[in-house]
Amino acid sequence: MAVERVDPELVEFDVRTDEMLINMGPQHPSTHGVLRLVLRTDGEVVSSVVPHIGYLHRCAEKIGENVSPRQWIPYTDRMDYLAGMNMNLGWAMTVEKLMGLEVSEKTRHVRVMVCELNRIASHLVAAGTYGLDLGSFTPFLYCFREREKILNLFEAVCGARLTYSYIVPGGLIADLPPGWLEACERCLSELEAVVPELHAVLTSNEIFIRRTAGVGVLSPEMAIDYGCSGPVLRGSGVKWDLRRDGQPSVAGMYEDYRFEVIAQAGGSYPRDQEYPPVPPAAVLGDCWHRFYVRMLEVVQSIGLVRQAMEKYRRSADAVSEPIKITQKLPRGEAYLETEAPKGQMGFLVIGDGTAIPWRVRARSSSFCNLSVLPEISRGCLLADIPAILGSLDIVLGEIDR
Amino acid sequence: MINWHTFFFMLFATITCAFAVAVVVSANVVRMAVCLIASLAAVTGLYFLAAADFVAAMQLMIYVGGTLVLLVFGVMLTARGPFVSMKITPANWLMAGLAGGALLILLLCAAVSVDAWKTAAVAESAAGREGGHTVARIGMALLGLRVDALEQPNPALRGGMAGYLLPFEIISVHLLVVLVGAAHLARARRTKKPIEPPSGTSRAA
Amino acid sequence: MRERMIAEYLTTRYGLPGWLAYGGVALVQCLILLGIMMFAAALFTWMERKVAGRIQDRLGPTRVGGRFGWLQSVADGIKLLAKEDLIPKEADAVLFRLAPYISFCAAFCVYLVLPFSNGWVAQHLNVGVFFIVAVAGLEVFGVILGGYSSGSKWSLYGAMREAAQVVSYEVPLGLCVVIPVMVAGTLDLVAIGNMQRGWGVNWLVFHNPFLFITFFIYALCTVASTNRAPFDLAEAESELVAGFLTEYSGFRWSVFFMAEYGSMYAMSGLGSILFLGGWHGPIPVAEMLGLTYANHAVLGWLGDLLGACNFLFKAFLGVASMMWLRWTLPRLRIDQVMTTCLKYCVPLAAAMFVGTMLWTYALPGGLLPRSTPMGAVAEAPPWTAPRAARGE
Repeated sequence: MAVERVDPELVEFDVRTDEMLINMGPQHPSTHGVLRLVLRTDGEVVSSVVPHIGYLHRCAEKIGENVSPRQWIPYTDRMDYLAGMNMNLGWAMTVEKLMGLEVSEKTRHVRVMVCELNRIASHLVAAGTYGLDLGSFTPFLYCFREREKILNLFEAVCGARLTYSYIVPGGLIADLPPGWLEACERCLSELEAVVPELHAVLTSNEIFIRRTAGVGVLSPEMAIDYGCSGPVLRGSGVKWDLRRDGQPSVAGMYEDYRFEVIAQAGGSYPRDQEYPPVPPAAVLGDCWHRFYVRMLEVVQSIGLVRQAMEKYRRSADAVSEPIKITQKLPRGEAYLETEAPKGQMGFLVIGDGTAIPWRVRARSSSFCNLSVLPEISRGCLLADIPAILGSLDIVLGEIDR
Repeated sequence: MINWHTFFFMLFATITCAFAVAVVVSANVVRMAVCLIASLAAVTGLYFLAAADFVAAMQLMIYVGGTLVLLVFGVMLTARGPFVSMKITPANWLMAGLAGGALLILLLCAAVSVDAWKTAAVAESAAGREGGHTVARIGMALLGLRVDALEQPNPALRGGMAGYLLPFEIISVHLLVVLVGAAHLARARRTKKPIEPPSGTSRAA
Repeated sequence: MRERMIAEYLTTRYGLPGWLAYGGVALVQCLILLGIMMFAAALFTWMERKVAGRIQDRLGPTRVGGRFGWLQSVADGIKLLAKEDLIPKEADAVLFRLAPYISFCAAFCVYLVLPFSNGWVAQHLNVGVFFIVAVAGLEVFGVILGGYSSGSKWSLYGAMREAAQVVSYEVPLGLCVVIPVMVAGTLDLVAIGNMQRGWGVNWLVFHNPFLFITFFIYALCTVASTNRAPFDLAEAESELVAGFLTEYSGFRWSVFFMAEYGSMYAMSGLGSILFLGGWHGPIPVAEMLGLTYANHAVLGWLGDLLGACNFLFKAFLGVASMMWLRWTLPRLRIDQVMTTCLKYCVPLAAAMFVGTMLWTYALPGGLLPRSTPMGAVAEAPPWTAPRAARGE
């Protein structure tokens, strides 16, 4: 329904004040790290947003060209520090692709398990901090309480709660400890009970809907143009998920898993009826949809972890051994993108026959997702900036590297 | 002998006058507004001393609260720019001094010429008798019943004392019109540049 | 009136000079009120933490002062006093220093005329309601001043938001306050409280359906005008860092805080007098036990004490529900706050005003039987009864 503009020369009456340049960050509480946004505001209305990045730049890629692939694993942990497992996975699989390595079935299922758990943890942080961005403190603690349980599981697996370095090129540093699967199942069933609570305090809350529905609308075309990925892309209704559509090694990791790509198609989400309905005010591609996609992915990942546990129990082989630190890389180039919680995380590695790669690069999903911010937040209110930024769910460690 | 009443009268009067002078002297618009508010708030104290509760609360609500809005505008318009500090030229001082001095002399003359000021004792007893019950009186007067007229012994004078409701309403409507007019004038005229929707926005839900 | 009696007793019995007796009595009253306000602020900061903790499935303070962290507020206070007192270079230092005390004074002034029980009021004004509404609106003055004088853009944003919000919400708040006043026929808080004597059905909130709705509008406007979540736009952490409080630290910050909690409690108290029977419980326990002045002065005093506890408890419940809201709901956006005020609260309050007017005109006594007819003010001067005066 297009609004007809009667007269292009129509004079608009308005009370205007001077424009003000205002610095949001890098120490602002809701810029999710050390992002600096320069806002041009007219009263409460923001006319332009310019993100300034680089406050967390640590030369990670250059360091990668001076250490061997296994030694670089801890650096990948510190990219998206909320989803270290997925970062490890991306790098490990890229190196495996370069070296032509195959991992055992058991390894594959463990990787699915920990990566999906980490996806849940990352989405929980996204949901909780999104509540904070909108001024609701309580869901944050509900989310972190559940995340703590997942971190306990990770601690049992690899000894670390944030920077795991668990998935390494060639395999895993260790198999799952005894009793871990039962603990994991307990954790998942507790988490399942919490999801409706989160829907109650956030997704279906009237104020939440009013703050997010129709705000920061990202059209599917623009999302694709800007290279958005992950829940940001799927929130705009594009059914694209590397777990299904990725390169053979990525899609192959999930080949016998049952799951659907969470994106609205034909006006409804997969398994729509189990969740709060889409409010009439919500527009496809707005903050509400991006949030909703994450919430649905949490439940989907619970299912994937369950499937992986079942497959792990049935697989007879052993966990693959990681490559040696001094293992020589073949000459050649490999680029691989995996579906990290925040979007497509890509790694490039070029080997020159020595143990140390000649070139290492990373493609950050948060970087592309952030690049869309100036477009979708033009003309919004000051209070919408944290709402939009939070819905993009960026991590500066990954953007700045 | 100075009793409490006189003491507080002196105190509030001094505060009122001191801040009134400060309004004139200070150069910063926001500080001026703050001093004005302090001055007006001290007048509230004087009203309370005179047992005029209603007028005092009114003073707080309208004058102090109204100046607050003035302060907001002051802040909005002068957060930066040429109005933060104002320079007053000697000519301004002279003119203001003449006008203010003339008014002051007029006021003093009027005050001195009244020889039948009530003594403190009389005023206090009057205040005590009425006990600050001014609200109902004012309300009745608005509705058309002048309570002070009831005490008027002369029936001829009692007639013709109509209520204040109509004038009150006229004033309020008048103020409303002024506000609407001000808002109309404050609007800037500019050619409408429609904010172009981001390319390819589809609002398909 | 009591304070005058005490002062006169002191002068006649002990021969104290008048200024000392009156001054001393006034000082004691002020100190008592200050104590109530401080204690309320300390209690509510502790309670806020406990309530937040429980809502968020954690414990809240547990260490300082025993199992329940009773002394957490004291520890916080000491910490705040010990903090470095910063004044930004860009700040207008005089106004920056002045601002918190203005807020505090405005919040405190409300207590001067707020009756805690039958006649337990520092200054019995017959325009008490009006005075409270006028003074409570002045708290924003300190906030605007603080926000402006901080010399920070975020502070300025906070101040402007607060100004816009509070000035707007004063309109529906004023309307909501006028409606029970209209039913009661007086602006005197003690009289309004006393005419709700008896069983809970005598409370003004149950006087008519319009007043019942008005109560909820009043509650909403109170939350908005005291700047509590979901209307805490002026100090919206995720948007404006800390709004007008951004540049404040240490003691001055805590003064703002005390002002906020003080005014929350005061506005809850006003609401409980205007709508919820003030110091009269739902069951007239004091009268059942014979704690009235008709029996004995001491018994009457005990009855008043019971009433004061009742009043404090009701105001406390109001603050508790504000906390409940704060820790449950996300924050509104500035345009939504304004919409709520101008498009919903004001017309609704105006409609309730008209409705109540018609109701009291058609059914002056209300539907339910009452022990005291509405509108009858004890010790009223003869000219408060208009019809009688007109007949003269």
